[in-house]
Amino acid sequence: MRNLIGYLLKRAAWMILTLWAVYTVSFILMRSVPGNPFSGERSIPPAIERQLKARYNLDAPPLQQYWDYLVGIVTRFDLGWCMGLEDYSVNQVLAEGFPVSATLAIFALVFAIVLGVTAGVISAVYRRTKADVALMFAAVLGIAIPNFVLASLAILLFVFMIQLFPAGGWGTLQQIALPAFCLGLPVAAYIARLSRTGMLEMLTKDHVRTAIAKGLPHRTVILRHVLPGALLPVVSYLGPAVARVLTGSLVLEKIFALPGMGSHFINAATQRDYTLAMGMVLTYTVILFVMNTLVDLAYAIIDPRVKLQ
Amino acid sequence: MPPEVRRGFVIFAGLFTVVAVIWAARMNPIPPADFSLQNGTDPSTLDPHRATGQPESRIIFELFEGLLRMLPEGDPDPETGLQPLAPQPAMAERYEVSEDGKTYTFTLREGIRWTDGSPVTAHDFAWSWQRMLHPATACEYAYLISEVRLATEYNSSVVNIGDRVEVELWDRPGETPLSEANVQHFPRGTMKYGTLRAIVKPDAPELSADATEEEREQAQLDWEDRWIYEIDVADPGAIAESEAETTLQRFAVSAEAAAADASVERMHGVLVDFKHFGGAQAIDDRTFVVHLNNSVPYFLNLAAYYPLFPVNQECVETHGSPLWTKAENIVSNGPFRLKFRRLRDRVRVEKNPYYWRADSVSFETIDFVSLESQNTAMNMYETGQLQWVYDLPASVLEELRDRDDFHSAPKLSIYFYKLNNDVPPLDDVRVRQAISMAIDRRQIVEQVTKAGEQPAYTVVPPGIAGYQGPEGLKENVEQAQALLAEAGFPGGRGFPKMSLMYNTSERHRPIAEVIQQQLQNNLNIKLELKNMEWGSFIETIQQEKYEIARYGWVGDYPDPNTFLDLWVTGNPQSNTNWSNPEYDRLISAASSELNPKRRMELLRQAEAILATELPIIPIFFYTSAEMAKTNIEGFAPSAQDLHPLSILRYRSDDPSTAPSKD
Repeated sequence: MRNLIGYLLKRAAWMILTLWAVYTVSFILMRSVPGNPFSGERSIPPAIERQLKARYNLDAPPLQQYWDYLVGIVTRFDLGWCMGLEDYSVNQVLAEGFPVSATLAIFALVFAIVLGVTAGVISAVYRRTKADVALMFAAVLGIAIPNFVLASLAILLFVFMIQLFPAGGWGTLQQIALPAFCLGLPVAAYIARLSRTGMLEMLTKDHVRTAIAKGLPHRTVILRHVLPGALLPVVSYLGPAVARVLTGSLVLEKIFALPGMGSHFINAATQRDYTLAMGMVLTYTVILFVMNTLVDLAYAIIDPRVKLQ
Repeated sequence: MPPEVRRGFVIFAGLFTVVAVIWAARMNPIPPADFSLQNGTDPSTLDPHRATGQPESRIIFELFEGLLRMLPEGDPDPETGLQPLAPQPAMAERYEVSEDGKTYTFTLREGIRWTDGSPVTAHDFAWSWQRMLHPATACEYAYLISEVRLATEYNSSVVNIGDRVEVELWDRPGETPLSEANVQHFPRGTMKYGTLRAIVKPDAPELSADATEEEREQAQLDWEDRWIYEIDVADPGAIAESEAETTLQRFAVSAEAAAADASVERMHGVLVDFKHFGGAQAIDDRTFVVHLNNSVPYFLNLAAYYPLFPVNQECVETHGSPLWTKAENIVSNGPFRLKFRRLRDRVRVEKNPYYWRADSVSFETIDFVSLESQNTAMNMYETGQLQWVYDLPASVLEELRDRDDFHSAPKLSIYFYKLNNDVPPLDDVRVRQAISMAIDRRQIVEQVTKAGEQPAYTVVPPGIAGYQGPEGLKENVEQAQALLAEAGFPGGRGFPKMSLMYNTSERHRPIAEVIQQQLQNNLNIKLELKNMEWGSFIETIQQEKYEIARYGWVGDYPDPNTFLDLWVTGNPQSNTNWSNPEYDRLISAASSELNPKRRMELLRQAEAILATELPIIPIFFYTSAEMAKTNIEGFAPSAQDLHPLSILRYRSDDPSTAPSKD
C-alpha cells in the first residue's frame, strides 16, 4: 500500500509539472502566431480593439498576463471568459462539452473492448479456420480505414439505405449509436489483434497445457487460465485507446453534429480564442495523464510481475 | 499485490464499467421543435450590440425587435425569384421624416411589452442606442449610425473644450477610489454633466528613441490617464438648459492624480453628453426622435437592423454582460423568447406571448441547430430533422437544382480579389486591367462554384432598387495582352512572380487554381498560390503585406454605398493603397445628396471609376442556394438573405406535415 500511495504522489507531482510546461508552451505558441481573437473580415477601429483587449486583460505586458492567468487557474480553477463564444466562460464550455465527450468515449470504449476481445478470443480458439481469417481480415480493415470514411459508409448504410438511425444530433441513445460505433471500431480492431496474439501465446504456456491435460473442460481452461493472461496487453493498450477515442472524436463530432468538447478544440485554435484553447489543452492533458495513471495502476494490480515505481 | 486485492480489483473494475455505462445511457430527450434550421457555427453571443455574424443575427432577429422590421412587400420578382423586403412598422407604429431628411420621429405602439411584462418605451431605445455607441461596448456596427448627432464623437471618445460632456465617477458597484476598474460599464457610476472648460496636461513622458510601438502607445495611454479635466458641472435638475447654475469641478482617470490633489475626483472618462444632446432622444414614453447630421437615404433599413434593436436596461444592469444573455436572465421583445441554449447543439426559442403580434406567429418552438458541416446538414434535412438548410454541398448542387424545395437567388454579396496597389507592377492601371480582362469568370462560376453565381465586372451586385451600375470591362484576352505589352511586359516577359493569397477553405482553393491557370495561359503571368489559415490571413492583409488576396463583402444594407465607401482613401477596410480624389469626391457628394436619382447617378459615376481603375478585381456575385421543405408557407429568398421566421407557417394543420421525430 505504501508504494501505491508513493506512486500516486509521484505521478501527481509529475502531472503538475507537465501541466505547467504545457501551459507555458501553449501560452508562448499562442501569442507568437499572427492574428488575435478580434481580427475579422472587417477591421475594428483601434479604440474598440483597445477596449476589447482591456476586457480580456490582453493589454497587460505578456509576463503579467502569463502570471495573472496562471494564478486564476491555480487558485480559483478559473480559466477565464471565452474570447470567441463571448457569452460563455471556459469552465461553462467544458461543463457542457465534457459529459457529451465522456458519454461517447464510454460507449465507444466498452463497445471496442467487448467486440475486440470476443473477436480475438474466437479467432484464437478457432485458429486457421474461415472465422479466424474473416475476423482478422476485418480487423486489418478496421485499423486501416480512417474513422471519417467509416462514418460516411455507416451513414449511407444505416441512415439512408436501412433507416435505423438519425443522421446526427444529440439527445437520444439512437443518436449515440453510430458515432460510438465509428469511434470504437478501429479500437476494437486493434484490441482483437492484441487479444488474439495474447491468447495464442498463452495457449502454448505450460500451465495451460497442464490444465488441458488434466481434463478440464475446454471452456474453463480458456476463461480461467488463458484469458486473464491474454488480456494484459489489452489493458496496457487502454491508455493509448483512450487517447485515440478522444482525438478521434474531434472528427466524428463534426460529422454527426455532436456537442462534445472536440470541436471547440479546433475552433479555439483557428479563431485565436486564447482562453478556450488553453482550457482545452489543459483539460486534455489532465484527462490523458489521469487515464494513463489509472491504466498503469490497473496493470500493476492485475499482473503480479509488474512493480509500481 | 495480494491475490485478494487483484480479485477485488477485477470486480471493482467491472462494477465501475457498469456504473459508467448506466451514467452514459441516461439521456433526457427533448421533443423536436416545430421548425428546425441549420445555423452554421455556434452563435458567439446573443447581445445585439456585440454580435456581428449571420448565425447570431438570425437568432437576434427573432428574439428582439427594432423600431422597424424587414418584412416582405409585394410579390417575388418573377425573373430571379427574389422576395423584396422593406422596413415596416414594428415596435414603432408609424414614423415621420422631416423634409430635409435629417429628423426621424418614431411613434411607438401602445401596449408593447418585454418578456418580463414591463412596457417597451422610447427611453429603452435611447438607452440602448447609447449603450451601443458607448466605447466600452465595443460594438463593431457603431459606424452604421455615425450620422446620428454626436454618435461618432461619443463612440470614439472625442471631446473638445467647450463641449457639453458627461463624466462617470469611479463609483461603479464594487469600486473604491483606489480599486481596479469594474469592467461592467453598465450600471454606470454617478454621472455628472456639464461643459468642458479645460484639460490640464502634465508633462508628456520622455521615451528613449528605441521604444517599441507598443511601449509608446502604453506610455501615451498612461499619460492621458493623468490629464485633469476641468468641467463646469451643471445642476442635475437643469442640465439641458444653457444658463444653468454651474460649479467648476476637476476630474482625472488615474488614481494617483486623484489622490495627489484633494480637489480632483477619480472618474472613468469624459465623453460628449450623448444622453442630453445626442441625436437619439426620447421625447416621452412613446416618441423617439433621431437627429442626423446629414440625411441618410437608407436610414429606415438601419432602423430595422439588429444592432439598433433595444435591450432591456434593467436586465443588462442586474446581471451584467455577458451573463444577461443566459436563458434564465435574458429579457427580450421579439416574436420569440429564448428557451435554452446548448453549445454546439442548438438554440431553442419559443413563442413570446407578450409579443404585440403573437397571434400571427405560427411556430411554438424553433431550433437553431449549430451545424458546420454541409454534408451533415444535408443528411439531417433529408431525414427530416431540419426543415431549412442554406449551406449545401457543391458536389450535389446539380442534382438538387431541379427539386421543388430548392431555392436560388442572387445575394447582396461579392467575391473579389484585392490588389495591393503599392506593389509594382500592380500600381499600373494597365496591368490591373490586363489581369482582370484575362480572367474567364464564366468558367469559374460554371465549373467550380456551380451554385448559379453571376460573373462580376463591377462591384455593386444587381438587384438594388433604383440603381443601375456601369458595364465594367469584359473579358478580352487580346486586349489584355496588348495592355500588358504597353505596360512593359510584352508576352508576360519580365513580369515578376506574384503571390495570390486565400484563406483555408474548400471553396477558395479551386477558384485560385483556375485563375492561376488562366493568367498563365493568357498572359504568361505566373502566380504562386498561398494558403493561409483565417487569423493569419486577415492580419497579413491588414498589415498590407500581400500582393493579391481573395476577399468577400456582404452588403450591410441594400444600397450601393455599402459596397462603394470601402474604397475611399483611408478607409481601414480597404487595404489596397488605392486612392482617387475624384472617387472620394463623388462618394462624399452622394452622401449629402438628397435627390435619390441624382444620388444614384453620383454613385454610378463612382463605381465607373472603380470598374475602370480596378483596385480590386471582381470575380462573381454570390447566389444563395438553399432548401426549405415545400410544406412551409412564406419562405422565399431575399437579396439580403433575411428570412423573418415569425411569418412562416406550415401549409395545413395536417399532422403528417409536422417534422418527424429525431
